[in-house]
Amino acid sequence: MPENPPHTGAAAEADLDAADAALAAAAADDEDAPYDLDDVLERTGASRTLLEAVERAGLLMPHHRSADGQARYSEADVAAVSAGLTLVDAGLPLGELLDLARRTDEAIDQVADHAVEAFLRFVRDPVRGTARSETEATARLVTAYDRMLPATERLVAHHLRRRLLGRAAERVAEELHEAAAATAATDGDEADRAEPPGRPSGDDPL
Amino acid sequence: MTLTVRSGVIEEDRPLLELLPSTPDALAWVRDGEGLVAWGVARWIDPGRGWTRFQRSHAALVRLTSAARIDDPVGLPGSGLIALGSYSFDADAPGSLLVVPRVVIGRRDGVTFRTDITPAGAAPAAPPAEPAPAPVTRDRPRYAGSSLPDLHWLEAVAQAIERIRAGEADKVVLARDHAVWSHEPFDAVDLARRLTARFPRCHTFIADGLVGATPELLLRRRGSAVTSRVLAGTTARSDDEVEDAALGAALLRSAKDLDEHRFAAESVQEVLGPRCRDLTGDRGPRLLRLDNVQHLATTFAGTLDDPTTSALELVGALHPTAAVGGTPRDAALAMIAELEGMSRGRYAAPVGWTDAAGDGEWGIALRCAELAGARARLFAGVGVVAASLPEAELEETRLKLLAMQAVLETGPGTPAGPGSG
Repeated sequence: MPENPPHTGAAAEADLDAADAALAAAAADDEDAPYDLDDVLERTGASRTLLEAVERAGLLMPHHRSADGQARYSEADVAAVSAGLTLVDAGLPLGELLDLARRTDEAIDQVADHAVEAFLRFVRDPVRGTARSETEATARLVTAYDRMLPATERLVAHHLRRRLLGRAAERVAEELHEAAAATAATDGDEADRAEPPGRPSGDDPL
Repeated sequence: MTLTVRSGVIEEDRPLLELLPSTPDALAWVRDGEGLVAWGVARWIDPGRGWTRFQRSHAALVRLTSAARIDDPVGLPGSGLIALGSYSFDADAPGSLLVVPRVVIGRRDGVTFRTDITPAGAAPAAPPAEPAPAPVTRDRPRYAGSSLPDLHWLEAVAQAIERIRAGEADKVVLARDHAVWSHEPFDAVDLARRLTARFPRCHTFIADGLVGATPELLLRRRGSAVTSRVLAGTTARSDDEVEDAALGAALLRSAKDLDEHRFAAESVQEVLGPRCRDLTGDRGPRLLRLDNVQHLATTFAGTLDDPTTSALELVGALHPTAAVGGTPRDAALAMIAELEGMSRGRYAAPVGWTDAAGDGEWGIALRCAELAGARARLFAGVGVVAASLPEAELEETRLKLLAMQAVLETGPGTPAGPGSG
C-alpha cells in the first residue's frame, strides 16, 4: 500500500535513477560466481563436451562474463548441473532432458518477462511515486526485491511440484484404467503377453 | 532338391500388402502400389560373412535357378524365380539372408501375377490367407534403453567431429538405437501397411523381421540399364507452405548439407562410372519432399558395359555408400566401429530383391525397425562433418527415433496423420 498518493513524493527523477541502479546492483550481486567452466567440470564430473553443448543450446547460462569475456558460474549453477546429471543417472536419456530443458526455458522465459513487468509497474513505480528521498526509495526497493526473489522462487517451485505430482497421479490412474479395459477385452489372454524385458513382472505397476 | 516354379497373371486389384499374411516369414518390397510380397521359404540362402557375401549368395541363386523347372509366361521384372534379401551392415557380422519364397505376388505396370515355388516333394502352398483381423486393443511400444546411452553417444559424436577436423575423414555417419518392448508381439505386415500408407513414395520392405520404408534406391538393374538415387542432406518440413519452401531453399544452399550430399553422390559415381558406358546424373541435387522430412537427391542412370554384372555384385561394390558409412570409406568405417558402441545388424545395409539373371532392386534399410516378437530395435543415424554440433545431431536422431516409434505406436485403422511424427 502506498503511504502517500502517487506523484506527491519529493524525490526527483534523477534521484530515483540511483535507486534503480541500486536495484540493478542487488539483482546482479545476488550470489558469488567464483567458478569458471573447468571448475564446474571438476565439481560436477560432467564432461566438457556435455557442458559446451548445453551452453551452446542456451540451457546453461553463465552467471556473468568477466571483463575478458570468460564465463563465470555460481554455486547454484554447479548445483543445477549436478541436478541434471542426477536425472540422466536415474535413467532419463540426455536427449529427453535437453528437450525438457528447452521447453522449460521457453515457458519460464515468458513468465519471467511478465514477472519483471509486474514488479516494475506495480512495485517499483509506486515506490518511485511516493518515496520522499533517494535513500528511502533505494532502501524500499532493495528490501522489496530481497523479499520477493526468494518468495517467487518458492512459489514457482511449489507450483511446479504440485503440477508434476498431479499430472503423475492422473497418468497412473489413466494407465490403470486402460490396463483394466485391455484385460477385460482380451478376456484373460495373458499367455500371449510378453514379459517386459529386464524387470520382474511383479514390479510392473500395470 | 529341385524347385518347380510357376508364374501366372491373376485377377487381383487389392493392395499388395493386403494380400500378405501376417507370418514370421513375410517378405515385401513395395512402392507406389507396385512391387512384390512373398511368404514361405523354398530355399534359405545363407550368404555368410565377408565382402564376398553378396556375390556368393548370388552365385547360389544362379545354381538353384539353373537346376529349377521354371514356367514363367508372365515375363515381368519379379516374375519367375526370385529371391528377397537383406544383408548385414558390417562385412564380418552375421545375419545376412537371401530367401527364395514359396509364394510371390507381384504387380508391375498394373499387371498382377502370382508365382508358386515348390521344392521337390513339398505340397503346393496354400492360396493367400485373408489378412487376420487385427487385435482390438494394442499395447504401445515402450522404451527399453539404448546400446549406448545417449550421454555417451554425444561424446562419440564430439570425438568424431574432432577427428574429422584433424583430417582423419571428411564425413562419418553415426547411428544409435532405441530398444522398445510391448505387451503384445509386433506385427511386421501391419507395420508395413502403415508405413506404405504414410510414405507411398518410399520402398516399404519386410525381410525376416526387418521392416521399414526407404526413400533411397541403392541400385535398380533391368537388363543392362542401371539406376541409383542418392539421398543425403536433410531438413524438416513445415505445415506452412511458405516456411516449407524456405526450409527447402535453405537446404539447397546449405554448405554443410551440400558437402554431405556431394560425398554420397561421388561414392556412387565412383562405383557405377567405370562400369557404365554412359552414366548420367543430375547436375546438382534436387529436393525430395517426404511426409516428415525433405532430402537432397541425385539420380544416376547408365548402361552396363558388361551386362553380366549382377545387381548384387554392384550392391556389394556400392555398400556402404557415404550416405551410411562416410568418406573416405575405410577411415569412416573404422571410426564407426570404434565410436558407435553397437552392432548395426542389418540397419543401413542393402535390402531388396534379385533374380538369377542379375536384375533386381535394392535399397538401404533406413527408417526401419528390427522386430522380434514383442521386442523391437529402432535406428537413426546422422552424417557428421567438421561443421556438425553434437547436440544438434543428438536432437536429429531423437526426432527420427520418435517418428519411427510413432509409426509403431499407431493402432490399426488409424493411420498416422501428417505432422504426427
